[in-house]
Amino acid sequence: MLRIDSHPTHTYGDFKLRIGKPIPFGATIVPSGVNFSVYSPHATRCELVLFEKHAPQPFAIIPFRDEFRIGNVFTMVVFDLDYENIEYAYRMDGPFDPKEGHRFDKTKFLMDPYTKCIGGRDIWGEEPNWNDVYPHRARIYFDDFDWEQDHPLEIPIEDLVVYEMHVRGFTRHLSSGVKHPGTFAGIREKIPYLKELGVNCIELMPIHEFNEFENSRISPVNGQRLINYWGYSNIGFFAPKAGYAATGKYGMQVDELKTLVKELHKNGIEVILDVVFNHTAEGNENGPCISYRGIDNKTYYMLTPDGYYYNFSGCGNTLNCNNPIVRNMILDCLRYWATDYHIDGFRFDLAAILGRDQNGAPMHSPPLLETLAFDPVLGKCKLIAEAWDAGGLYQVGSFPSWGRWAEWNGKYRDDLRRFLRGDDGLLGAMAQRLQGSPDLYQWQQRGNRASINFITAHDGFTLMDLVSHNWKHNEANGENNNDGGNDNYSWNCGWEGNTDDPVINNLRIKQIKNAITMLLISQGTPMVLSGDEMGKSQGGNNNAYCQDNEISWLDWGLLKKNVQIFNFFKNMIAFRRNHPVLRNGTHFKNTDYMGSGYPDISWHGQKAWYVDWSSGSRMIAFLLCGKHAKGGTVSDNYIYIAMNMHWEMHGFELPKLPGGMKWYIFANTDVPVPNDIYSPGEEVLIENQYEFLVGPRSVIVLVGK
Amino acid sequence: MEIKATTQNEVTVIEITGCIDGNTAPKAEEEIMKYVVPGCRLVLNMSQCNYISSAGLRVLLVIGKQILLKNGSWVFAGLSEEIKDVMDMTGFSNFFKTYTTVNEAVNALRS
Repeated sequence: MLRIDSHPTHTYGDFKLRIGKPIPFGATIVPSGVNFSVYSPHATRCELVLFEKHAPQPFAIIPFRDEFRIGNVFTMVVFDLDYENIEYAYRMDGPFDPKEGHRFDKTKFLMDPYTKCIGGRDIWGEEPNWNDVYPHRARIYFDDFDWEQDHPLEIPIEDLVVYEMHVRGFTRHLSSGVKHPGTFAGIREKIPYLKELGVNCIELMPIHEFNEFENSRISPVNGQRLINYWGYSNIGFFAPKAGYAATGKYGMQVDELKTLVKELHKNGIEVILDVVFNHTAEGNENGPCISYRGIDNKTYYMLTPDGYYYNFSGCGNTLNCNNPIVRNMILDCLRYWATDYHIDGFRFDLAAILGRDQNGAPMHSPPLLETLAFDPVLGKCKLIAEAWDAGGLYQVGSFPSWGRWAEWNGKYRDDLRRFLRGDDGLLGAMAQRLQGSPDLYQWQQRGNRASINFITAHDGFTLMDLVSHNWKHNEANGENNNDGGNDNYSWNCGWEGNTDDPVINNLRIKQIKNAITMLLISQGTPMVLSGDEMGKSQGGNNNAYCQDNEISWLDWGLLKKNVQIFNFFKNMIAFRRNHPVLRNGTHFKNTDYMGSGYPDISWHGQKAWYVDWSSGSRMIAFLLCGKHAKGGTVSDNYIYIAMNMHWEMHGFELPKLPGGMKWYIFANTDVPVPNDIYSPGEEVLIENQYEFLVGPRSVIVLVGK
Repeated sequence: MEIKATTQNEVTVIEITGCIDGNTAPKAEEEIMKYVVPGCRLVLNMSQCNYISSAGLRVLLVIGKQILLKNGSWVFAGLSEEIKDVMDMTGFSNFFKTYTTVNEAVNALRS
């Protein structure tokens, strides 16, 4: 039925217009036309600018009539647009008064902050036209998609094994063998691999549109062009990166990404997005004017009293997250990704910034974080905070959570690394980390669901580099090795970097196995870094954000070379997924509330039921009672894990099992393949049921059944 | 864009020449829908179609759903590798069966 308001009321040249609807913001396809709506409280005048796709100059500039402004929103419907073939921008007039926070420039073509599709960087790495008057171009895209039966998977967070990956790096290397390397479609071709590895969640490093040419320069070391490869620098929050889509050249990145999500869900794999709401690609006062600065600088950015940009992100500016308008934009954005892309969860980069007020001071109950925690649409989405920022706010264990937010547990990473390399004095901390860090989270009754456990992530060493380097080697980044973290808690096993020494190489592989074992038997949600499962190295570069080359790309040839690492990962992941006692949602009670004769968790050492907690000790073991799995709601085997990070072999007395049960070995990192690990369910009965000799720097996993 | 229909062994073969984009999609829909009748059997011969935009793919998907409702069937023939790739990567190929030649497509609908 035709609506009575679906006809124009005004004309401008050949264009037919009428007043639009202010909500929703952005460009929305409506019967007979497109509804444009943009907020700016300080602009005195606004124009809609239309380009033919890729055209150097606009073909039309249509001013918003005075009566087309409702409140602080400029809105109009333009009829009969060939919206598939146009790009649109705004021009805003208003005061240029930086001290007051205003930086209007009526000559600039501004991208709509709410645009769902952005042209201009359609093919990754293709040299842009540096003189383009409008480099990042808002487009209008169809929001319909046939999801059929698809629905976000809603896997309990403690049952996830998260795989953190870079869209391009995952398949860009020619060894990946996919038809469209470095794209969403490439990931889709690798779904069988992800299933074989056993992960049930991928966390994608930023996939919002960004400019890979931002700060591009030539490396002084190897002459290669350095670009923004990671993409922690948003241009548009609602638009997927075109250069990550094989169909980006046709402007169909939206459909390609949705198709990837749908296929992943069909295969039982969730999708978490790494979202960067702490700053934008506009940088400080010397940066480009892409959108926010020209539309409403004072609203979008945290400004000093003199009108300069606060820099809590380390990237030049700070998004004004607790301004009500920006807060709503973030909420609209996340709802959009959850609703239109069926995204299962979000990891918030430098999330501590989201809890700062408009002057930068940390808040007790930040409205944005509270809003997200209680939002009905996001109600089943995972919300994960990187609970620190570049301004020195560190909130691991104290991030305002309302029982909803999980955290990247940075303390888990640091303690595990130090224990792994043989530091002393860590048993107390390790006991906490292995059982979901109750020291950090119990006071809020947050349980194991608060802790994302990880040893490596995109920031920092890969796992192979962690056991091969004492120091970072970031010379190729062109900053005199000053960039990247220095607190790596790494150990090179006796030689810095690559070596032919088989003793050192075997020790490194053992340390990798030790690390992944400890990660996957810890309570909480494990996250592994893509490539660690095949021993990927970045040559000691612990900050490869600018390396779009073999340093970062995953070389699939490693799968053959390091097949024993892959097999170990695969079986360890399967073991975790087979044993609910490793995946409790709530913390242990350290009592026997099931009447099994064993507490839910008990601690052991060289003697059963006794741990030498003294600072010189590097040995610890624990027993999980299968009757207490998932809070006693399901039954599982008994599982015993002994960790000997001392450089000598030690005997561990095994705790006695209930009558009729025996100890079986699942994994022993000290022995060579194929006896280092077995398929879950195929564990081997051990001869000596009373004591186990655990090799130097080794971990064993036993199953009692 | 031109649309031409012929009948081959009781199957309607619709040949599309040119491209289907936001401008031509409404016309394509109107023309093709003429042949969407209960129990119809249609082959869309795409060998002369050099480009389909996302608006074009959406129109084809909508037509496909109408055909299903009318207990009809349709298949595609002669897609270029480029178009087939785009349809694969954007998920549209999940909804269509494709054959290399028109004869194969006609035979498939007759069997």
